[in-house]
Amino acid sequence: MNEVANVAPQAKTIMEARGITKRFQGLVSVDKVSFSLAENEILGLIGPNGAGKTTLVNMIGGTLKPNEGDLLFEGERINDVSPYRRAHLGIARTFQIMKPFPGMSVLENVAVGALFGRDGGEKSMAKAREIAREWITFTGLGQRMDAHADALGGPDRKRLEFAKALAMGPKLLLLDEVMAGLNHVEVDEMVELIKKIRARGVTLLVIEHVIKAIRSLSDRVMVLHHGERIAEGDPALVLADPRVVEAYLGKRRT
Amino acid sequence: MMGRWPLVLAVLVAIVLAGVPWFGNDVAVQFGINALLLATLAQSWNILGGFTGYVSFGNSVFYGLGTYGTAVAMTHFNLPFGVGLVVGAVVAMLCAALVGIPILRLRGPYFAIATLGLNGAMAAIVSNLPIAGSNIGLVLPLMRGDAIFYELALALLVVCTLTVLWISSSRYGMALVAIREDEDAAGSMGVNATLYKVTALVLSALFTAIAGGIHAYWSTFVDPASAFDTTLNVRMVIMCVFGGPGTVFGPVVGSFILSAVYEVLASEISTAAVLFFGLVIVLAVVFTPKGLTDLMAGARRSGWRYLFRNIRENRL
Ligand SMILES: Nc1ncnc2c1ncn2[C@@H]1O[C@H](COP(=O)(O)OP(=O)(O)O)[C@@H](O)[C@H]1O
Ligand SMILES: [Mg+2]
Repeated sequence: MNEVANVAPQAKTIMEARGITKRFQGLVSVDKVSFSLAENEILGLIGPNGAGKTTLVNMIGGTLKPNEGDLLFEGERINDVSPYRRAHLGIARTFQIMKPFPGMSVLENVAVGALFGRDGGEKSMAKAREIAREWITFTGLGQRMDAHADALGGPDRKRLEFAKALAMGPKLLLLDEVMAGLNHVEVDEMVELIKKIRARGVTLLVIEHVIKAIRSLSDRVMVLHHGERIAEGDPALVLADPRVVEAYLGKRRT
Repeated sequence: MMGRWPLVLAVLVAIVLAGVPWFGNDVAVQFGINALLLATLAQSWNILGGFTGYVSFGNSVFYGLGTYGTAVAMTHFNLPFGVGLVVGAVVAMLCAALVGIPILRLRGPYFAIATLGLNGAMAAIVSNLPIAGSNIGLVLPLMRGDAIFYELALALLVVCTLTVLWISSSRYGMALVAIREDEDAAGSMGVNATLYKVTALVLSALFTAIAGGIHAYWSTFVDPASAFDTTLNVRMVIMCVFGGPGTVFGPVVGSFILSAVYEVLASEISTAAVLFFGLVIVLAVVFTPKGLTDLMAGARRSGWRYLFRNIRENRL
């Protein structure tokens, strides 16, 4: 089932979190979480609503600062690196609460990623538009190239978020529930797209409630519950872990 | 994104306007100088306000610094007018950079409020500077010839508008608009928001200050109250927003129309002019909250229903 071999221990680490904690007025959203991502790996991140998954992504992307702990990217501590410089380093993310540029066309939205992403982005507008067109087509939005972003429906907005992050040319891509609201067929399409992205050498952290997708994508799965990491490892084992079933799967079934 | 005809029309209008001193009377030329300078101010304000969405009430400070920079350079150091303009522009741009770096961290209304304070502070400083004539002001050397000031004001407006035209189709402009549309998303996509916001403010200060310098030499007198005038800043905002913020020609068209409306009202009913002017603005904002440019696009798509849709959408 896991067609991709488990990551060998000597695989190069691209990103590492060491005991990172985020508190909001006393409420601990992420509690001393440590994990690492090997180059070109897909780590699935699951957990019930409010578990702290988005908060974790916000800390890696830089829109939130951890109260404790260290974040390392390619061996450098990035706690104090601003979000735009993390984008230049090669970190891209999608927003669960989607953030399209509503007054821009789909093409312009995605071109922003190409123009300012990894290494500061492409300097030529024509080149950036070309890159944007490729990713828009890749994500299946080809027919909506010139549509205004705020004219898109839910699933297309998800694709737009995805295309914008891809156009940045990231090394590490953080996907926060890009499959929410998609139907079965669309989920399968998205799984295929993510596999293609990985085949190009990108490392991914994938947050998803769709267990089927997590199972088929992830090399490893990590589970958050009340901000704590309660399990991590081989997808089949983790998804069968009684604590995980109780905390997450069990809850969703009721 | 923009068709060819607005550009062609703009070039024709600029050529006709350049001819006004030859076939117009003194009143027309004087009205023209004021209208062109106001349009430049609205267009300058557009660079930050229209493209990034940051509402500045500090532009009247740049105007005042341009005014005083030119006046002090010409009266105290006997420098030529051109050098005076450069001095004013440099001082205003330095001020924009120094002030912009800390306060452009503030979002939305907080930025607007912070800039409001600048004007009073700067007026107070200048009023206590002997070199700037303290609170009495400075008298500049007299130069006759409204036609020269007119052509200068027109040239400045053209250069300012060409700059905005470039912004609207450049990588730089994409960053500004991304910041306006969603600053957090822009940052996460690699846009160095502080850099772009501060440079937009500095560019805005450049054209605003030169307009101030031209006005100073033309009117031959500067004093703190008229140089650092918040109501002038309010007019920049109104003219830009009325015409269409974030567009290339909207602010120019908007300010020409409002200048003309004001002129007509002022000559017909003098005292009530300001009241009627206010009424025109309120109606304009109610019916076309996104400016004339949007009105034209919207009217083409949905006719008169556009006006009522705006009211509905804005829950007025
Ligand atoms: N900006 C914030 N301010 C206050 N509380 C927050 C903020 N962001 C997240 N939280 C809280 O942190 C917890 C984890 O939220 P989140 O990371 O969004 O969970 P998940 O993505 O796993 O559903 C929740 O209790 C949420 O209310
Ligand atoms: Mg979430």
